[in-house]
This record gives sequence, C-alpha cells and structure tokens, in this order.
Amino acid sequence: MDDSDEALMGRVARGDERAYRNLVQRHLPAMLGLARRILGNAAEAEDVAQEAMLRVWTHAPRWQPLAAFRTWLTRVTVNLCLDRKRRAPWVELEAAGEIVDPAPGAGEQAESDERERAVTTAIQQLPDRQRAAIVLTYSEGMSNAQAAEILGTSVSALETLLVRGKQNLRRALRDLIGEEEP
Amino acid sequence: MKSQEFDALLMRALKRQNKADEASVERVLARLSGPVPRQQLPFWRLPAVLLDWQFAPAWPRVAALGACAVIGFAIGLSGVDRRIDRTDTAVITSGGIGSIVFEPEPLTGAQP
Repeated sequence: MDDSDEALMGRVARGDERAYRNLVQRHLPAMLGLARRILGNAAEAEDVAQEAMLRVWTHAPRWQPLAAFRTWLTRVTVNLCLDRKRRAPWVELEAAGEIVDPAPGAGEQAESDERERAVTTAIQQLPDRQRAAIVLTYSEGMSNAQAAEILGTSVSALETLLVRGKQNLRRALRDLIGEEEP
Repeated sequence: MKSQEFDALLMRALKRQNKADEASVERVLARLSGPVPRQQLPFWRLPAVLLDWQFAPAWPRVAALGACAVIGFAIGLSGVDRRIDRTDTAVITSGGIGSIVFEPEPLTGAQP
C-alpha cells in the first residue's frame, strides 16, 4: 500500500481515520517545533499544532495535491502562528519573563549557552514575518523558493525579509557579536 | 562577525530549539485522540450527497429537499413569470373564447 503523505491524505479525504492518525504521528513533532520557534511559547505552540492537525482532517476533502502535503501543512502552521501573533496583545519581553519550557531539564540546557539564548531571544523580538522567514530558512533548511511559497510571497520579497531580519538581529546582538553601532 | 559566521550562529541557536519535546507532543496527541470533527465537503460534492440514496440518517438530505420544495412554491406563488405591467390584475386569458370559435377562415372567409 502507498504510504506517502499524499496517498494518506487521499484516504483521509474519504474519511479514513487511521490514515489521519498516521499523518498526525508523522508530522506533529515537526509542526510543534516550528510553531514553537515562531511563537516562542510552548503552550501557544501546542494550541497551534493541534489546530493545524485538525485542519488536516476537516480540510482533507477540499485538499488538492497542487503542492507537497508537507509544504501545505507548513503553510497552514505558519499562517496560524502569524494570525495568533497578530491577535495577541503586545507584551514587553521583560514583562513576559523567560519563555517557560515544560520539558524537564530544558531550562538548564538553555542556560548552558548564553550566546545562543541571546540569539533566540533576539529572534523572538523580530517582526512576525521576518521571524517566520528566518525560522523557515535557517531552522527548517528550506530554500528561498520553498519559504516564499509557504509565506505566500515572492522570492525577492522573502530575500528582503531575510536581509531586514538579519540587520535587525545584528543590531540587537551588536554587543554579543562585537559590532560597532552604525 | 562575518556573514557566514553569523548564519552559523543563527543555525546553531535555532537548532537548539529544534529538539522535540516528547511531553509536549504527547499532550497534543492526547488532545487529538478524541472523536474527530465533521469534515468540510467541497461544493461540487453536494449533488452527489443529494443523490446518494441512503435513508439513514438522512436529515440533511430531507432538509435540503424540503428547502427546495419551499423555494419552488414561493417562486410559483410570487408570480415572477407574469409581465410587470399586469402584476396588479388577475388575467385568465387575453382573448375571449369567442375569438377562437367565431374567427373566419383567413383564406376562404368562411364562418364556422
């Protein structure tokens, strides 16, 4: 039996719940990680990943295999993250405190490298679309074309997002990376 | 810091966040383990739903059929097929029955 994502999605469209559970098992960890990197909050990332997985089921009969299933699911997850960020009231990072990670020992692990923690904090302060572009490119290892497709923009617009995002990061991390203020 | 070094730093920092959190995955899986919601049917499948002769449970189909019947009656009663200048008068026929019976033959002029 064909066990590809697209074949499973075809079965989900016909109401096959087992195929749906299979897809969820396969893609949930990656989508949860992606949502967490974009949102910077474990609890919100869980809500977004759950919503994205439910959409796999509810939207399956309307799904058209125009793009790879993984690309479609990533787009759904990123859009849900951006929507949530848009709706959520702005909270100053100092007021919000540290990002709570419920995993045992995750706090100690994060503290072990101040430098990388500072980078992740700076990434969280970026505007939503710049952050999404950086996460998709540097964390998911996507090409600019793939990331542009997921964000629903052109490759040149994505490149602009990346350049601006990195400029903002360099500015925020100038003490850390030893750069002079322009 | 050079561009490549900065890119590498970004990748390392994001990779650190990449590690899957088992407990978090389990929590979401537990939330998804309940009954699944209704799937959204595309519009082009609706005629197929109406033509699917399965009688149990068929409330949506009965409701759709009833709605079609009500719309049909409403259109029939509203008289949308009548001419706009005659909507206020009840007209049974425009010509009397006599015009049919006593009309002379067009060629011969013979009366019936």
